[in-house]
Amino acid sequence: MQGPVIEMRGIEKSYLAGDVVFRALKGVSLTIAQGEFVAIGGPSGSGKSTLMNVIGCLDRPQSGTYLLAGHDVSNLDADARAFVRNRLLGFVFQGFNLLARTSALENVELPLAYRGVASKERRARAARALQLVGLGTKLENTPNQLSGGQQQRVAIARALVTEPRVLLADEPTGNLDTATTEEILALMQGLHREHGLTIVMVTHEPDVAACAGRQITVRDGLIAADVAIAQPRRANVDPPGGH
Amino acid sequence: MWWMALRLALLSLSRNKLRASLTMLGILIGVAAVVAMTAIGEGAKESIEKQMTAVGVNLIWVWPGASASSGVRGDANRTAAVTEDDARAIGREITSVLAVAPTLGVSAQVVYGARNAATRITGTTLDYLTARDWSVSRGRSFTEADLRMAAKVCLIGETVRASLFGRADPVGETVRIGKLPCQVVGVLAPKGQGSFGQDYDDTVLMPITSVRARLRGSSGREVDQIMVSVRTPAQVRRAQAQLTSLMRQRHRLQDSEENDFSVRNLQEMMETFERTRSTLSTLLLSIAAIALLVGGIGVMNIMLVSVTERTREIGIRLAVGARSGDILAQFLVEAVTLSAFGGVAGLALGVGAGAALGKAMDWNVTFQPLAALVALGTSSGIGVVFGFFPARRAASLDPITALRHE
Ligand SMILES: Nc1ncnc2c1ncn2[C@@H]1O[C@H](COP(=O)(O)OP(=O)(O)OP(=O)(O)O)[C@@H](O)[C@H]1O
Ligand SMILES: [Mg+2]
Repeated sequence: MQGPVIEMRGIEKSYLAGDVVFRALKGVSLTIAQGEFVAIGGPSGSGKSTLMNVIGCLDRPQSGTYLLAGHDVSNLDADARAFVRNRLLGFVFQGFNLLARTSALENVELPLAYRGVASKERRARAARALQLVGLGTKLENTPNQLSGGQQQRVAIARALVTEPRVLLADEPTGNLDTATTEEILALMQGLHREHGLTIVMVTHEPDVAACAGRQITVRDGLIAADVAIAQPRRANVDPPGGH
Repeated sequence: MWWMALRLALLSLSRNKLRASLTMLGILIGVAAVVAMTAIGEGAKESIEKQMTAVGVNLIWVWPGASASSGVRGDANRTAAVTEDDARAIGREITSVLAVAPTLGVSAQVVYGARNAATRITGTTLDYLTARDWSVSRGRSFTEADLRMAAKVCLIGETVRASLFGRADPVGETVRIGKLPCQVVGVLAPKGQGSFGQDYDDTVLMPITSVRARLRGSSGREVDQIMVSVRTPAQVRRAQAQLTSLMRQRHRLQDSEENDFSVRNLQEMMETFERTRSTLSTLLLSIAAIALLVGGIGVMNIMLVSVTERTREIGIRLAVGARSGDILAQFLVEAVTLSAFGGVAGLALGVGAGAALGKAMDWNVTFQPLAALVALGTSSGIGVVFGFFPARRAASLDPITALRHE
């Protein structure tokens, strides 16, 4: 294991619902090292997504410090956070969040476009990322011409095309059936094992969480448990996706 | 950033062609109105100026009857005749006058051999050609003697000459005007077309005495009109004032009475025309302004709808690293592109409509490149102004809220 890529100390985040202040994160401290595969679990409403949004620099904590790859990102303005998301992080969502009526290739190119990468290089890198997730033959398909699992692969390719330090995934298999879930898990395990990718994944399902190397449980805005898994489950890729 | 924004704008507009076209409509109409109006306005102005120099800027006309522009028209019994004696008095008493030509007209058929031409016969005096700055290109003009004796002589305009004589020499030939045999003594130099389509050369001139006695068969002194030419344009106003008071005196009008005759000069007529034109222009401009305003609001409205519809897309873009400036640019450029397309279409429509109208009205239509530039600038400006608010709303979205939208 190498040095920490994520270091959080006393992260707090509260929401104002009506005139009641709701404390979604009540001082979370968390360190994740380079090359870890972490699963975050916990009951619904416990603050998992809130935590992921803070880690992903989509949201800003009210207090606490957050060092991402050594940089303090706890107090950045919106544009600086956009920069960090673009350079250091890749995000995968439960609902895929691809641009409709836009080809897989262009979807994957998107983060590079906002980085100002020239279109030729962009296409080449996007094509490579899609090959990496096993969609080398579906470059021109639009989301509605792809299965759910394939759409999530496109989303993973989009997250990886910028060569991020951390891949963040909030319930990436939440919308998928069991077989497809296993495919996506196998892909993530492969990326983790072969490319040393750091992955933080929120999931409800114990089966999914078991594939990670470390399991964190969030309860009531605090980390309730944090255990290493000696023997992660190998995702079952028995019926290969047919690509 | 702007290049990408333009690509996205074109993509987005091409996905909603019908909506985009409908939104453009207001701006299209506004710009078309501006372009057509300026073109026609300029054309009309040029026409008038040409007219003015063709007819002569030093002219004053006097004719019987109160003028319509002084309000209600005078009663019939207050319409006194304007006579040849009035004309003579004007020439005698007003020093700045160069020429005074009373005229008396009839419309008649002019026949030569098997050919004939329907034209206007103007009976007048020797001064007429001076007043109108006209000359005889072949033969001679009529003389004092012709006038005195109501001679059966005439001068023919170029158009009449061409249709009656073709290549033959008309001078010395005898034509029939109505039932009156009349000798052609000269041909008028071509004067060309008036800018409202009238043909100055489609005319026959005769001594006023001949027209009165032989064509009208009357014996009075009254005339249709007196044409007065003044030495310089600067003297027109003063001469007109003097002429008016002279006429009032001759017609024995009390101070309380209105004129029983009308006096006009070309400058005045031009001014009247110009006033009408500028009123029309103002009206059209207001219509254009309203259309543009409505068009702008339409753009704003559709952009707000678009931002709402595409909130999730905005969230995705923000999540992968778009900055608020990128989003602002995307929507602002879309709004500007939309209205600039409207501007271009409006320009095309305006040019087409202007040309068609100009042709129908026989006006010169002058398109000004500046008007086109202004039209495009205005439409793009509208895009910026009305697109800014929706674009800023899009740019200020929070990524998480935007991603959760729907
Ligand atoms: N924008 C918000 N405004 C107010 N309250 C919020 C907001 N976002 C989240 N919350 C509250 O914060 C708490 C934590 O929400 P969060 O989305 O992090 O839960 P979660 O652990 O991801 O749940 P789930 O497993 O159902 O996705 C919830 O009680 C939720 O109601
Ligand atoms: Mg959640």
